Amino acid sequence: MQLSDRVTGLFMVALGGLAAYGGSRLPPVPGQQIGPNVFPLVVGIGLAVCGGMIAFGIGRRYEEEAEADLAKITSQIATDTVAEDHSHNWWRGLRALVPPALLLFYVLAVDRIGFLPTAAALVLTTSLALGARLRLAVPLAIGAPLLVNLVFSKLLRVPLPSGLLPMPWLGLP
Amino acid sequence: MSTLLEAFRLVMQTDVLLAILLASIYGLVVGSLPGLSATMATALLVPVTFYLSPIAAVATIIAASAMAIFSGDIPGALLRIPGTPASAAYTDEAYAMTRKGQPEMALGICVWFSALGGIAGTLSLIVLAPPLAEMALNFSTYEYFWLAFLGLMCATMVARSSPVKAIASMLLGLLVACIGIENPAGTPRFTFGITDLLGGIEVIPALVGVFAVSEVMRAMLTAEPPKLPYRRFGSILKGQIALTKKYVAPQVRGNIVGIIIGVLPGAGADMAAWVSYSMSKRFSKEPKKFGTGHPEGLIEAGASNNASLASGWVPSLLFGIPGDTITAIAIGVLYMKGLNPGPTLFTERASSMYALYIIFIIANIIMIPLGIAMIRVAALVLRAPRASVMPVIVLLCAVGAFATGNNLFAVITVAAFGVIGYVMERNGYPVAAMVLGIVMGTMVEQSFVTSLIKSDGSILPFFSRPVAAVLASMTIAALLWPLGVWTWRLLRRPTAYIVRNEKP
Repeated sequence: MQLSDRVTGLFMVALGGLAAYGGSRLPPVPGQQIGPNVFPLVVGIGLAVCGGMIAFGIGRRYEEEAEADLAKITSQIATDTVAEDHSHNWWRGLRALVPPALLLFYVLAVDRIGFLPTAAALVLTTSLALGARLRLAVPLAIGAPLLVNLVFSKLLRVPLPSGLLPMPWLGLP
Repeated sequence: MSTLLEAFRLVMQTDVLLAILLASIYGLVVGSLPGLSATMATALLVPVTFYLSPIAAVATIIAASAMAIFSGDIPGALLRIPGTPASAAYTDEAYAMTRKGQPEMALGICVWFSALGGIAGTLSLIVLAPPLAEMALNFSTYEYFWLAFLGLMCATMVARSSPVKAIASMLLGLLVACIGIENPAGTPRFTFGITDLLGGIEVIPALVGVFAVSEVMRAMLTAEPPKLPYRRFGSILKGQIALTKKYVAPQVRGNIVGIIIGVLPGAGADMAAWVSYSMSKRFSKEPKKFGTGHPEGLIEAGASNNASLASGWVPSLLFGIPGDTITAIAIGVLYMKGLNPGPTLFTERASSMYALYIIFIIANIIMIPLGIAMIRVAALVLRAPRASVMPVIVLLCAVGAFATGNNLFAVITVAAFGVIGYVMERNGYPVAAMVLGIVMGTMVEQSFVTSLIKSDGSILPFFSRPVAAVLASMTIAALLWPLGVWTWRLLRRPTAYIVRNEKP
């Protein structure tokens, strides 16, 4: 998700403008000049101004200095990554979205099918996406949820839903 | 004296000591794994701290963060891959020492001077906090407003990025803090009719997303770091006393710089290490030796990043303004445990404060034996493939966020902020500035609006009180500083802008 400064800058302008507009439409406190509208207005305008400056490339030089410093150290790792990037670019880019997508899956699934199966699916997918063999991923997908369940559900008493797999023999609800 | 004894009694509980020990081991392991930062270690600890006593909760955070900052040096020295961003500044130097056949020396410096730096930072916390608390008791909302504003500006000034982008990130954080009904009128603001947003964006899930999920997202796209070959180490601490005596000045300088940077809001251990390393090079008698495995810079920067860790608690405890991203998380825990930050903490809960100092010192002392043990088993820990560590972290993000309020919406927050953090990082927007905005948003708005209501909409009282005037001028200077430097550079080297390189 490498975007040009122009795109991110204009996005900030739009967001700031919307925030300022939305803020200005909030109802004021009767009998007072200052209400909940002031702060979003100020922040929104500030954001829009900054976004405009970014879009015009102001302050870009500082970033280059920092990047040069960092590049010295990570050059060796970076070259590896770039080399792999070229082979299947779009597919690799999408892989970054696996963790947040899995978290959304967790939200949708955990109440229906229970914690253990959901967590197992989550661990298995992440592990495979990182290039693990099944020999590692499957035991991990079985072991890690059980361990997390033990710690959070038994020791910390977080109500994790049991769903399809109530396991009274493990002392789980 | 009785408060001190009471503090010892608070610390010497079995649960507190056990918490320190376990959190230390956890911090050492997480810190040493490349790609897992000290902040992430702390963020993932938070759900566990809910279920501990207040002192034990704070103790876990202190111990885990201190250990993680040190143990980030281990893969740095042995593999040339910093375990945490705080080690990045001197990774080359430490690795050069390893290549010269002195890995014991490099790692010994890291553990020994980290511990000494941490203790120096703690002393600064002990010395600085009470007089500042005395002063802060007289602060009104005007001073608090400027202080918070100054804190936000500091965070943008020291970010290793374009100051404009840093300010934009910070404003984005403030905007996130606007969400919900916690505003002067109690009207639902930017909730878009979603009930879950009425309470606002919760800080802890947002931080877990920004620091943990986005890290896993990044791991998806980068190559796995190489494995560490097993090696036998000689004595780790041999010669450290001699080095301590030889390099007194760099060490003291490193501690002081670390303390100052720690106190500055938003600037943490990584910044301290960068500044100290370059300072060490500039003031050294033999700058040519830097980069070839010379201990001087390593000593200064290694002491600096651990010193900053303790002094970062000064603004956090006094004003609720986080000194770095780790204390940003710690503040959330403090509120939850009834240790609300503020100057009264030092008068009313003095024993808790002393207990905190004691924990800091204990953590930095046990860092030496535990750190040496960690160095010896590092080859084993670093053998764990990333594909086995990262999935567990994703799972802990989900369960941990859920545990903060038994609410699945927190997990959605984690996912959303993971994406936001990832996109921002990739495009050069410093996430630390946004985090500071989120954490401090409510405080900034409250002090701003209350001050405006008190003054009937006039801006004059913001400048008429003496302390407020000083803070105001500092803030405005910080605001204009990047603009000034930019114009100056533009006038001096007009061509520099034309020949700049685009990002690949």
